[in-house]
Amino acid sequence: MGLLAFTEQVINGLVIGSFYALTALGLAIIFGVLRIVNFAHGELYMLGAYCYYVLTSVLGIPPLLGVPLAALLLFISGMAIEASIVRPIYEGKVERVDEYAIMITFALAIFLQNAALAIFGPWTLRVDAVFAGRVSIGELIISGDRLAAAGIGVLLIMGVLYVLHRTWVGKAVRAVSQDRATAAVVGIDVARASMIAFGIGSALAGAAGALMGPVFLVYPTMGLIPAIKAYVIIVLGGLGSLWGAILGALILGVVENLATVLIPDTTRALAYKDAYGLGLLILILLIRPQGLFGERTRRS
Amino acid sequence: MNMPPETGVRAAAAALVLIFALIPTLGLQEYWIYILTIGFFYAVLASSWSLLVGYVGRISFAHAAMAGLGAYTSAMASTRLGLPLYASIPLAALVVGCVGLFLGRICLKLHGAYLGLTTIAFSEIFRIAVTAEHGFTRGSLGLQAPGFFATNGRAQYYYLFFIFLLCVLGTMWLLLRSRIGLYFAAIREDEDAAASLGVHVVRWKVMAFAISSMIAGLAGAFYAHFVQLVAPSMMSLQEMGLILSMAVIGGFQNIFFAAIGGVFLEVLLELMREIGGWRMTIFGLAVMVVLRYAPNGLVGELIRISYRHVRGWVT
Repeated sequence: MGLLAFTEQVINGLVIGSFYALTALGLAIIFGVLRIVNFAHGELYMLGAYCYYVLTSVLGIPPLLGVPLAALLLFISGMAIEASIVRPIYEGKVERVDEYAIMITFALAIFLQNAALAIFGPWTLRVDAVFAGRVSIGELIISGDRLAAAGIGVLLIMGVLYVLHRTWVGKAVRAVSQDRATAAVVGIDVARASMIAFGIGSALAGAAGALMGPVFLVYPTMGLIPAIKAYVIIVLGGLGSLWGAILGALILGVVENLATVLIPDTTRALAYKDAYGLGLLILILLIRPQGLFGERTRRS
Repeated sequence: MNMPPETGVRAAAAALVLIFALIPTLGLQEYWIYILTIGFFYAVLASSWSLLVGYVGRISFAHAAMAGLGAYTSAMASTRLGLPLYASIPLAALVVGCVGLFLGRICLKLHGAYLGLTTIAFSEIFRIAVTAEHGFTRGSLGLQAPGFFATNGRAQYYYLFFIFLLCVLGTMWLLLRSRIGLYFAAIREDEDAAASLGVHVVRWKVMAFAISSMIAGLAGAFYAHFVQLVAPSMMSLQEMGLILSMAVIGGFQNIFFAAIGGVFLEVLLELMREIGGWRMTIFGLAVMVVLRYAPNGLVGELIRISYRHVRGWVT
């Protein structure tokens, strides 16, 4: 592989990685605050894409406005989901808390996926991208819709990190993720912070779906593979670690793009592109189960 | 009525077994015999899934994938290696059990969510790999497998799967009544306390996952030689969602409730054919409601309500 091809693959990997970072960051924020893995994360991504589709293709709203609106809708849905099915865990209303959290989010995923299937049908929908065309840097050519979407994604991630580190709301959310009981003692409204965290996580997944919809088409099961990648990434980065999620996403993006050239048969190479994540996951669990930035705890 | 409520439940269970044993002789349409046979297959899957979830407290999303792995192993062993079914089916169970041991070994030392994360990734990527390797597996066209019997009698398969289900339930019940069942319960209630009292927590969690997966693989192998065509769609997460719905709606904290849920939902799925895609939407919603308000499942609730009535009669 020549230097140019190598650079091209790395840049493509970083572009894809920044999309992965959007979904994985949302998952990490939710895990950090609520200590649950949201198994419906891929369906929130799918919901974001359908919101974007309805807003831009059906209602005729310009694409650049469609993305933030889809994210806003998902922010509200996320808060509603937290309040209805997640909060009972912290109010002591369910027995077998761990099993409940995993099964109820998976059931939500089944519900959302099949609702989308019943309403919109199994067909793939084509939606308008935020920006079309190609961008060439020297001899490198990168498709414009991906680059623009990645740019918006990076801006969104920076925005969320700013909110989490520099505003009162964000500090409250981080305090709750560090220690729920102590946060409550110093006067933080834990229930509200949890709701906001779930909202932010959903909004990030929704924004990722809205940005990727034009690139990879929109269909009911579109969230499955991005969600699985997000799971691999948060294990790689360390469950609940925000920087781990971002770095893990970039690593996975680059690994996938570089590894694709290993299999010469192109159709198989494309199919196995999604399989490297599993290999990476097994490797992490064997070598460093706490992930890159995770704390070494025996069990929580 | 002065009988203890347990006797009532046992009598009801015996009656249920008797009814299912007599069904093929009652002149039911062949089509429904076929549906009930598939219902027994799902009953095995739902109850073996609840063995892990309800008794040990860990959740696997690879149960459908394990059934698929078993189905493909047995189908390939019998068609490509020419093994007879009595060799290919145990081989399938063995292969799936080993995969279960490996996955369990790397995930079950960690937080409960890790098994869910790893199994969901395993199941989807395994499905992709089976679809992609069409030279070997015939991809989404499906792989043909030889049948159990020379003639395709519906009643034959019905009784085969019915007896298979009873054997699986009986084996699991004996396992849960043994010392191992107590280890499982101890782990579910408090892992640290169990470990401090000398229970090999990780070992028994891995065993539970491997046994549960192995039963799924066995069921998959049986299924392959019943429908005689295995396709990657049987390993989709949609299928996993159906198994989870069956176990939760029936009652995932009891293997028998989960089995009843399996047959019940399969029949319901057929009765609601007209509404197509909405069926799984409704089941997903029902799972959420049952988990939140009736964690013992519908069968558990039914028994609880009837207990209350019996108690009412006694006093």
